Amino acid sequence: MEWLVALVIGVLTASGVYLTMRARTFPVVLGLTLLAYGVNVFLFAMGRLTIGHPAVIDPAAVNYSDPLPQALVLTAIVIAFGMTAFLIVLALKARSELGNDHVDGLDLAEDEVPLKKNAVTRAHEKYLKLIKKKRKE
Amino acid sequence: MTLLISNLPIVTLLPFFGAIFAARASSYNRVASAWVAAIVTLLASALLIPSSLAVFAGETVIQSWSWIPAIGLEFAFRLDGLALLFACLILGIGLLVILYARYYLAAKDSMGRFFAYLLIFMGSMLGIVLSENILQLLVFWELTSLSSFLLISYWQHRQDARDGASMALVITGGGGLALLAAVLLLGNIVGSYNLSDVLAAGELVRSDELYLPILILFLVGVFTKSAQFPFHFWLPHAMAAPTPVSAYLHSATMVKAGIFLLARFFPVFAGTPEWTWLVGGAGLITLVMGAYMALFKHDIKGLLAYSTISHLGLITLLFGFGTHLAAVAAIFHIINHATFKASLFMVAGIIDHETGSRDMRKLNGLFKYMPHTAVLAIISSAAMAGVPLLNGFLSKEMFFEQTVSAVYDAPFMIIVLILVLLAAIFAVAYSLRFIHDVFFNGDSIDLPKTPHEPPTLMRIPVDLLVLICLAVGIFPMFFVAPMLAAAVAGSLQAAPPDYSLAIWHGFNLPLVMSMVALALGVVVYMLRDRLFKWHDRRMSDLDARIIYHFIYNSITTMASAITRSFDKGSLQNAIAWIIGTAFVAGVIGFMSVASPILGPRELLPVDGVSIAAALVLIGASIMTVVFHQQRLVALVMVGVVGLIVVLLFVKFSAPDLALTQLSVEIVTIILLLLALHFLPQTSPKELGRLRISRDVIISVMSGVGVMVLSMAVMSRDFVPISDFFLANAVPGGGGTNVVNVILVDFRGTDTLGEIVVLALAGLGIYALIDGLKLYAPAHDENGLNWCEDNHPPIMQALTRLLFPLMIMVAVFIFIRGHNLPGGGFIAGLIAAVALIIQYLANGISWTAQRLRIDMHWIIGIGLLIATFTGLVSMLLGYPFMTTTYTYLTWPIVGKFEVASAFVFDLGVFLVVVGATVMILVQLGRLSDTSHKRQQHLESK
Amino acid sequence: MHLAAWSVFLPLIAGFIVLFAKAKGLLWQRVLNLLSVVVLVLLSIVLIIESSSGVHQVYLLGNWAAPFGIVLVLDQLSALMIAITSALALAALIYAIATNTDKQGAHFHVLFMLILFGLNGAFLTGDLFNLFVFFEVLLLASYGLLLHGGGRLRTKAGLHYVIINMVGATLFLFAVGALYGVLGTLNIADMATKVALLPEQDLGLVAAAGLLLLVVFGTKAALFPLYLWMPTAYSNTSASVAALFAIMTKVGLYAIIRVHGTVFGAEAGSLANYHMPWLLGLGMITLMLAAFGVMASRRLREQVSYLVLASIATMLIAVGLNNPLALSASFYYMIHSTLMAGGLFLLADIISRGRGTFKDRFESAYAMPGAVLIGAMFMYGAIAMTGIPPLSGFFGKILILSAALEHQWSGLVLAVILVAGFLMIITMARTGSLLFYKVLDSDETHNPPEDNDVSRESPNRISTITVIGLFALSPILVIFAQPITAFTESVAKQQFDSQGYIQSVLSKQPVKAEKE
Repeated sequence: MEWLVALVIGVLTASGVYLTMRARTFPVVLGLTLLAYGVNVFLFAMGRLTIGHPAVIDPAAVNYSDPLPQALVLTAIVIAFGMTAFLIVLALKARSELGNDHVDGLDLAEDEVPLKKNAVTRAHEKYLKLIKKKRKE
Repeated sequence: MTLLISNLPIVTLLPFFGAIFAARASSYNRVASAWVAAIVTLLASALLIPSSLAVFAGETVIQSWSWIPAIGLEFAFRLDGLALLFACLILGIGLLVILYARYYLAAKDSMGRFFAYLLIFMGSMLGIVLSENILQLLVFWELTSLSSFLLISYWQHRQDARDGASMALVITGGGGLALLAAVLLLGNIVGSYNLSDVLAAGELVRSDELYLPILILFLVGVFTKSAQFPFHFWLPHAMAAPTPVSAYLHSATMVKAGIFLLARFFPVFAGTPEWTWLVGGAGLITLVMGAYMALFKHDIKGLLAYSTISHLGLITLLFGFGTHLAAVAAIFHIINHATFKASLFMVAGIIDHETGSRDMRKLNGLFKYMPHTAVLAIISSAAMAGVPLLNGFLSKEMFFEQTVSAVYDAPFMIIVLILVLLAAIFAVAYSLRFIHDVFFNGDSIDLPKTPHEPPTLMRIPVDLLVLICLAVGIFPMFFVAPMLAAAVAGSLQAAPPDYSLAIWHGFNLPLVMSMVALALGVVVYMLRDRLFKWHDRRMSDLDARIIYHFIYNSITTMASAITRSFDKGSLQNAIAWIIGTAFVAGVIGFMSVASPILGPRELLPVDGVSIAAALVLIGASIMTVVFHQQRLVALVMVGVVGLIVVLLFVKFSAPDLALTQLSVEIVTIILLLLALHFLPQTSPKELGRLRISRDVIISVMSGVGVMVLSMAVMSRDFVPISDFFLANAVPGGGGTNVVNVILVDFRGTDTLGEIVVLALAGLGIYALIDGLKLYAPAHDENGLNWCEDNHPPIMQALTRLLFPLMIMVAVFIFIRGHNLPGGGFIAGLIAAVALIIQYLANGISWTAQRLRIDMHWIIGIGLLIATFTGLVSMLLGYPFMTTTYTYLTWPIVGKFEVASAFVFDLGVFLVVVGATVMILVQLGRLSDTSHKRQQHLESK
Repeated sequence: MHLAAWSVFLPLIAGFIVLFAKAKGLLWQRVLNLLSVVVLVLLSIVLIIESSSGVHQVYLLGNWAAPFGIVLVLDQLSALMIAITSALALAALIYAIATNTDKQGAHFHVLFMLILFGLNGAFLTGDLFNLFVFFEVLLLASYGLLLHGGGRLRTKAGLHYVIINMVGATLFLFAVGALYGVLGTLNIADMATKVALLPEQDLGLVAAAGLLLLVVFGTKAALFPLYLWMPTAYSNTSASVAALFAIMTKVGLYAIIRVHGTVFGAEAGSLANYHMPWLLGLGMITLMLAAFGVMASRRLREQVSYLVLASIATMLIAVGLNNPLALSASFYYMIHSTLMAGGLFLLADIISRGRGTFKDRFESAYAMPGAVLIGAMFMYGAIAMTGIPPLSGFFGKILILSAALEHQWSGLVLAVILVAGFLMIITMARTGSLLFYKVLDSDETHNPPEDNDVSRESPNRISTITVIGLFALSPILVIFAQPITAFTESVAKQQFDSQGYIQSVLSKQPVKAEKE
């Protein structure tokens, strides 16, 4: 079971790190969120895994899961929430101030190209052009 | 006689204080600052007299106070013969320069600044020569570099002044740092920074293995300051300074500081072959090159500059011989050079001042305009050339004598002899040129002004100096012998050798050399025109300055290149570095100790459900990565991941975590959705194969690293402190839910900090959004308009029904929190969600009407409650945050026992609600306003 | 000992009182804030005196004995840090008020108070996870302050700063988690004892976690290659915030001294001081790069940021030398460089206001109003910062160098510090002559054309006095070098006595109830 959890932590971290290193704010936010999940599970796992023994005092219980890491994780979750919320709003502000959502305020980094527009967009653009023409006439 | 035990520091510091007054004085009266400077100088000299008597009586005055004992830095001063000689030069010539400058400076030049700088410089020089502690000496050494920068760049609007100044600072300042290194190492060997100890430890130093490096560092300091080859080139450019400054810096002070150190440390370093080769070699080259260059300068100050370089070379060479007699000659020449060079610079200044030009190709036949000045010039330049009956002659004789005797010791020194003779010839030639070109040789060519004699007072300093030249030259025994003897004794730290200052030593080789030099010098001068042509053809582009600038610029460009290549201002770059470093650090750390990766602890069995869940989670997070450009998809995937994490917490018996995670999850997703509305729906495609692969590698590495780390820990047994919590939760904390007890009691401070974080997030976001207007598209990326119709009525009804229910749940969770999973956070988040849903379903305006509380107050009150529950215990003599449960003597036990923790938790609850709602409502309101604005804009 | 706790909780309480005062208007907030900072300054002086006895004073929060509860530990170092912080805060606050910086956005004063809460907490806590919490507090407050006022560059810098610090926080949690997972405790003193007794096969994990923690603190302290956030952040925020941030890098340094110094101290067996070579080596690289950065800067504020980077690098080197004399030297240098850096940031702002449209770019502009005074101040600051005699920078450097002489790398350290210093000196000379000598109008009267006059702000009296006040501390550091170095030496001695710290933390007993 430990291996499984370790694997989960690893994957969460890896994908989190990758997204954190992207060039646009939104993926970075997602990346940090995943990273937070990863580290929370890690922190939790540091109290070792126990099944079916919540840390609630109860005369019948034989043993308990380690409560301290749980408390820490709880704190960590809330702090991470505060940070993420702040970052999200900052990302919005950055977009309005820098005019785009690149982390360095670039419109397009030299190694980026806009995604291909899908059919709907193209159709709609045509439609808009038509309207413009009509207006002119 | 308290004065006599502390007069040296006063002498040194007086000019610095004087500088302040001088600067202020000018605002009352132009000349006042000159007076201040003069008075300060006189005062300092007067203060020096009593101790100088002691020095002539053969003792060394030392006055010291403890300063930084940790490193053996003392506030210590020393007056011996050598120090006295230099102090006299500095003060005496300083006084004359002040008098001279008072007439030299033009009406538009600020007197206050000039004399303030001059006094600072004077103080620094005095500090150098009077310091007993060599660290302290270094302090003043760097101060001279600094103040010379100010003096040279006095005419700050002139490019050449600025360049000359900064070049001087770069060279001499840099040399100072080398000297600093030398001094530190020296002090480390000797075990003390006090001169008395250092001078006594010559043997020890010379035998130390660090002798050569120290010597080199020391000499770099000396040569930069004294303009010795290869650091000579700053001096000519320093000529951009006002002439009084040149007269001061380049005759008696600045450049002599290096020479002073040679004399000072002669007993420590001298007498080894390294010393002879380095010092003598540099001196010889400088001597010849300077003399040669001087002849070809058309600017009189340029000529004087190079002749100064050459004479400094001469002195250095003498020290290089390393014999006591040579040292005597050197010190004697220091005095003479100071006198005649100062007077010559002043003359040059007068000429410049009265004619408006310094170009010897224009200046001719000034004799008839300014005969008096001319006579002075003739005498002092004769001294420079080494004409008999003048002081220059005497020291030059001694110099030749030393060279000759050196040849007796080592025949190959004949080369030196020849070179020295060559230099002497050039010296005669350029001295002759200075006189003949300027004062005779036909008439001047288009001068800016018609020349005439300067004001008498401006000439007096020159008169005095020339008198000294004559006096010393004719009656050396009477005028200079005692001073010289004292100085030599001070420098050698030994009884001076027997030497004679007689003018006539009989007809000997040195005399012959002098004659030859004079004769051939005249010849060379005759041939000057041809020489000039040849020089301009061959040597004109020979300039160390070019090399200097090349080095300087290449360093600057390299610096920029390195900086820009590392500090790109790119976030991705920075993060890559940090995460990469973290990985490397972790690996190296683990490798540094030979311990196995896995431990002995037995692992839990795996079950199918868990595997399935894990697979979903892994799949989802990978999907997030893959589809991160399609942002909505990625967001959904993140949601899935979060939910599985919640299940994970449930599975491994952490119900509190599960609840918290769940509620945070919901709020976060809502936030992200709101945000996504303002951001592009897609990210651009990345083509940077290199970067992508780099990132993949880094992320995989870190993933594996973390996985191994967590496995390594989980497979080991450990003894946590948690048993204490389990044991004390009920008796000590009064709650059965240990996690909650830890949060509100054992580690209450963490929780306090954490709600502060949440509050800060709320306030920070409020501040961010305050006055922020966003571009809210009326239609999305694909051009489809946002759904216009307002909040669906069924949902409205439903949520309004739900609201009280959810609040009840929140209260329930909150109350049971201390004993069963739940507590302030979770309750707070649930309540927040309840409120937010109202906003979502019924719109902001509707809710705002019904919910009239400013969330600032909620947050504030929450913090207040949480903090004050902590403070109450302080009032009762217990540490902050002590829960009331801990003392049973409290009245109404039982009812009360849970209370304080409870109240604290209430604070938590309020802050959580306040902050969360504030964040989301701010964002929501933002979207509202931006939308209205946008529609408004587009309707136009 | 309650006093030490107060230095943490006073800013918190003041924080939300100021928040309530929002309703009453800015004036009230200003007054309250100033009052509390002044009280903090006085309090910190008392703390220094109190701690000078040399005994660690331990405060059990929640009345739970260490390692179970969270402890605050007051020793001379924490007292010193709090004192520096409060002094700097006072200057920054006065300047902010004098220039109306606090009007440019909401909640300046609340954030200001709460960052002090975070800082003082971080300086006092004896618990690693609690340190994390306080870090987060001061970080979030610093985000708000950094972004205060807004603007393109500032927002961009803020974005980088926030994201990098969130990554840092994650690393911190990984490190803390791993340490807990092996040692089973969070209390720093307790960790030290556990590490000393740890079997060989578990040591590797602790070593890894330790270095991970070094990366975290190194990021805060701007250690190569982790400092990339620092120049942009410092050079783009408002002046008073930048001045206050001069302490932020020191927090990282403090954490290294406190946590690593205790947990991996002399008693840590095979891990004893294993982080020191890293500090020394990376510190030297940082110093060189900082010097290059100073040369390469295109704006004054950027240049000042790199100067600050250089100063922190110098301190890291001194700490890495790992001997009491060097540590004491680094404390002396810290007092000097923190205050001077603060002053220089404020001065840079005055200059860029004075140059009007030219801001602080390195182009020759029209002479600024009051150029003589400001120029003199600039030269003074540059001298102090680049370590030229006769100001405190030079003596700090001398202290460090002479402490380095015994070290095996002494030659290298000497070379690096001196060469870097040299590069900075020549660059600052260039800057000074560009800003104050190479002015556009050639005549000495310095009268720029009227049209340019509009945007040029003449220096505001109070802000100038604030800078002078900070600068005035440099000569004091020099003249009273003897008592001050004596003080820093005893601080350093106390740091090297990690056993004393551990003992007094773990032996502290909770307050007993009256009758039980």
